[in-house]
Amino acid sequence: MTKGNIVSQPTTNRDARLKKCLNRIAIYSAAGVILLANGFQATAANAKKEEIAPVPKMRKNDLTPIPDIQKPVSAHSPYQDGDCSLCHQRKDRNDPGMINKQVNELCLDCHDDFAKVMARKSSHVPAKINCVTCHNPHNSKQPKLLVEESEALCLSCHASISNLVANATVKHDALTTGAKCVNCHNPHAANVEHLLTRLPFDLCVGCHGQDGVKDHAGKALTNMKALLAENHEQHGPVAGKDCSACHTPHGGNNFRLLTKAYPAEFYSPYEPKLYDLCFDCHEESMVKDAKTTTLTKFRNGDQNLHYLHVNKDERGRTCRACHEVHASKQKHQVRDAVPYGHTGYMLKVNFTQTPTGGSCDRTCHVTRSYTNSVAALVPPKTDAEPPKAP
Amino acid sequence: MRRLAYLAAGGMLWSWSALAFANVPIGTVVENVALPTLTGGEHSLLSDTNVSVFIFVKPGQEHSNQTLVQIAKCEKEMAGKPVHWCAIVSDRIPKAEVAAEVRAAGLTMPVLIDKGDALYGKFGVVLHPVIGITDQDRRLVAYQPFAKVNYGAFIQAQIRHALKEISDEELSEILKPTAAVLGGDASVAHRFFRLAEKQFQSTNYLQALANISKSLEKHPTAAAHSLRGRILAAQGNRAEAVAAFEAALALDPHDATALEGIKGSKENAH
Repeated sequence: MTKGNIVSQPTTNRDARLKKCLNRIAIYSAAGVILLANGFQATAANAKKEEIAPVPKMRKNDLTPIPDIQKPVSAHSPYQDGDCSLCHQRKDRNDPGMINKQVNELCLDCHDDFAKVMARKSSHVPAKINCVTCHNPHNSKQPKLLVEESEALCLSCHASISNLVANATVKHDALTTGAKCVNCHNPHAANVEHLLTRLPFDLCVGCHGQDGVKDHAGKALTNMKALLAENHEQHGPVAGKDCSACHTPHGGNNFRLLTKAYPAEFYSPYEPKLYDLCFDCHEESMVKDAKTTTLTKFRNGDQNLHYLHVNKDERGRTCRACHEVHASKQKHQVRDAVPYGHTGYMLKVNFTQTPTGGSCDRTCHVTRSYTNSVAALVPPKTDAEPPKAP
Repeated sequence: MRRLAYLAAGGMLWSWSALAFANVPIGTVVENVALPTLTGGEHSLLSDTNVSVFIFVKPGQEHSNQTLVQIAKCEKEMAGKPVHWCAIVSDRIPKAEVAAEVRAAGLTMPVLIDKGDALYGKFGVVLHPVIGITDQDRRLVAYQPFAKVNYGAFIQAQIRHALKEISDEELSEILKPTAAVLGGDASVAHRFFRLAEKQFQSTNYLQALANISKSLEKHPTAAAHSLRGRILAAQGNRAEAVAAFEAALALDPHDATALEGIKGSKENAH
């Protein structure tokens, strides 16, 4: 209600409207408190009955109807129809009395399709026990009768996500555009944990499966759907449709929203901490042991070629030098070519796998072959630097 | 033939070829071995008569620790089922460290020590944690890598499928759960239908008619047309009521309310 609006009314009318409005607010506030109290009673009763985990503390809302002058954008049909007795004891808008049943029981009377929704494997506690934690049953200045703007509403309870979003140096635009939290989560219930509407991969390609998507800093991002359609040798988590194994969707401090450290460049001194992301699943010994006959097939006899390439004090080749992180046409996600330098020059990898080993044709170094058989060793050769980018 | 069937089932559910152990594809009969355990003595990797579940883990890694917790939960929830369980760790990791993580997770299954990573190399384990499942014939029937979301459900479903407790379709539904989309026209229409129904019961015909019209606009159903017919009949608008009942029967010729409504309208007309 703005001052301008009030002043523009004739004084007598204004007083009458104000009085009526205050009356209604007082009545509905009382109703709102009753509604909330009923909800919490129901919560306690259900918790005892079903022996569910302790119910988290939930927000309390003012459920008073919003006066028309404040221009509500959504209204509940029974309220809009003035049919108060559908939920309350009386039809009288000025004196509707208490609600007829416990809150959710009352809601599910009409919204009975929600029984099926709430039977999904993962459900939101407030939705399960008290709809009015998020919705005003009369009207609202927000769509869907929400008591507050959707993102603010979610973050008002989910403090850890709120902190993460606020402090992340790398942001994910999915949180702040479109339906925001509801881009990925169903606030009522879902068949996937964390109330995700789909498995992580299926959600991610919803946006990252098209051309022209840019990150928060404006950098163009890969069309993952197109990449995976053309490259069938996929990294385990990609094949397992689990983007969240490596990426943190709410924001983070590593480039590309990676959950842990991963070298961003072609060269890096070997420092295990820089490979925290990889070593969450891959055996660190694979690049730590100079000799092995079990940890990798990228070995010449027992000479560990991963160690040879990666484990260097200065210009160690990082994983990206030879592997695509998502998918490639060759096994082990060996890439055809790697961006080298800052001019967009693509350095060919020229790797060929053989039944007992493999070879790399001249690019980074002269043509080299290797065999896994300890008995038939290919003579070792000295390392060489890659050619300079043109 | 049987191997082909396993591969076909695997392909239907997941991109198995991309996930399988590098040296042991799905459908392979796995050689059984006995390995020393963390607490002393030896234990076999597989059972020759039951479904076996073996987990390559590296205690200390975040994903492996999460797997230990999940698998301990599975072990507890599936207690009593004919499943042969074991975890496998490299002998590089100090035993005390392994024991501490196993204890913290509440794991009770035997933990086998893989000397010189021989088993790791034999299977061609590329990523871990990873769970392998073999059937009564020691045939590798499933492979479950780490997943950050729905992991416990995936593991249990794979085991229950190997035990033949759930069908291919049920497994598929768990591995690829139905999307939980919000609302939709049918859902909104149903709410208007329920509201109209209540308003009709309280003889508020005017608003009941308005709300059933909104419902029909969003998603027409036989039930909604029938309710509209009942409201119109109650208002004395027999001709339109009959038209509404006929619209209901066009969608569902067996709609009892519509059949009764038409019958009632005809009787009243006489």
